Amino acid sequence: MSSAVYSAAVRERCREPRRAGAWPDGEPGVGTGSAGSLDAGVWTRLQVRVGADGRIDDARFKVFGCSAAIASASFAADALIGATLAEARALAPEDVAVALGLSGGKQAMAALATEAACNAVDDWERRTGTADWGPGIGHSADGQALSGGTR
Amino acid sequence: MTPPVVAMPSIYLDHHATTPVDPRVLQQMLPYFNQVFGNASSRQHAFGWKADEAVEHARQQVAQLIGARAKEIVFTSGATEANMLAIRGAVAARRGHGGHLVTVTTEHKAVLDVCASLEREGCTVTRVPVQRDGRADVARFAAALRPDTVLASVMTANNEIGVLQPVAALAHECRARGVWFHTDAVQAAGHVPLDVAALDVDLASFSAHKLYGPKGVGALYVRRASKIELEPQMVGGGQERGLRAGTLNVPGIVGFGAAAAIAHAEMAAEAVRVAALRDRLLDRLRAGLGAVTVNGSLTHRLPHNLHVSFDGVDGEALMTCLADDVAVSSGSACASGSREPSHVMTALGRAPADSWGAVRFGLGRGTTADEIDWVATRVCEHVTRLRAMSPVTAGTRA
Repeated sequence: MSSAVYSAAVRERCREPRRAGAWPDGEPGVGTGSAGSLDAGVWTRLQVRVGADGRIDDARFKVFGCSAAIASASFAADALIGATLAEARALAPEDVAVALGLSGGKQAMAALATEAACNAVDDWERRTGTADWGPGIGHSADGQALSGGTR
Repeated sequence: MTPPVVAMPSIYLDHHATTPVDPRVLQQMLPYFNQVFGNASSRQHAFGWKADEAVEHARQQVAQLIGARAKEIVFTSGATEANMLAIRGAVAARRGHGGHLVTVTTEHKAVLDVCASLEREGCTVTRVPVQRDGRADVARFAAALRPDTVLASVMTANNEIGVLQPVAALAHECRARGVWFHTDAVQAAGHVPLDVAALDVDLASFSAHKLYGPKGVGALYVRRASKIELEPQMVGGGQERGLRAGTLNVPGIVGFGAAAAIAHAEMAAEAVRVAALRDRLLDRLRAGLGAVTVNGSLTHRLPHNLHVSFDGVDGEALMTCLADDVAVSSGSACASGSREPSHVMTALGRAPADSWGAVRFGLGRGTTADEIDWVATRVCEHVTRLRAMSPVTAGTRA
């Protein structure tokens, strides 16, 4: 796909990807999730750090993949800052795709970023044993407790 | 209404995709759009005679570039059509001899897809694997030839990795068995010496826009001594000795001839110059990045081709980072959650990850040492940054 079909937002995030990086494995307070695979040609890895107030206070990503995959992970990591875990889970591929102007098959890259985000939240809950964290956290919009399993 | 003008990168390193029309070629073409505009088939007046004269002059120029005789050149709309005429035309002409075709796994789609379409019509096709360096093994190729083989088609130079095939040896095996041999010589013509008579091939395809001529014109070489009676694929006018009907594209053909003449005169020196720049680019990439994998043989390769894989980096992402300044090509577009690796890289026995990280640099007549140095610096910067954000180099696997 030629770069001309990418929005300025994608190109900027590809060249200057905000929140690129990683915490070491087992870093306290950090959950790690991934989506895709190297063999499939796109692999998104996203980490979230949850503060004492139950909100995500930092997020980092690593991506092997195309420009849209990099931009999607960078955008998702940005969008997760300050979010509750429920809000993190609610981040939809459409939100990412619209913000970055992704169309057609490239929207699948946005879906990988949000899937990795959900998996990171699940991982954090597993690690901390806080699948039912508290009011508004770890619950869906209708108040039902969410599964802590890997998605 | 004119087409929209899109901002262009300042450094063009995608000369395998296409080349700019050489200004000297353009100058020679221009009168044939509105001054000498006659139909080359109009035998009754001077407008037609002039156009015909120009076409025959161009035919001579193209023939000279490839070591053929003018009468062995059939002008087409490009190499895709030339391949189609060669392969489908040969199969139709030799219907009584069988329906088996031989090709190799790294061929361009313009050959592979024609073979596949013939397969659906009842032909059988053997796609001979290449070696890890991208070259066909002559003995393995020869073993694939059968009594009912009507045609073998192997490209002279690969469009992705630039690897040159042992065409003379392959053609020799075919000649010994009475099998017609076709080569898609699009990427090689005008860049490396090519003598179809010495190579002893029966059919060869060419395209003007790969050697600084215009788009929309190509040629098929048909060896007269082989007494090949191809079945035309376009009928309705009898042009090109009945092999390719349709009004001749006189300005395009004039441009093709002019481009061929320039290539013939300048190719030897240009190949040395551009190969040195290619090697300079590789040296700088290796100095800046350490391990850089060259895909395919570096010895048997077009002088203006460099095809490399950067571990842990997606070639498309690198292209996007470079896109404002440099035009290059990556192995495969990523359009969904999963994608197909390049069939050429797969044929070399390479893992999908090597294919995702592949980038093709196609140098050209206008490429300078300053440009190469600038590009090498930018590529090293971007690859280093992309590697830093890649989970592949983080020692983890999904």
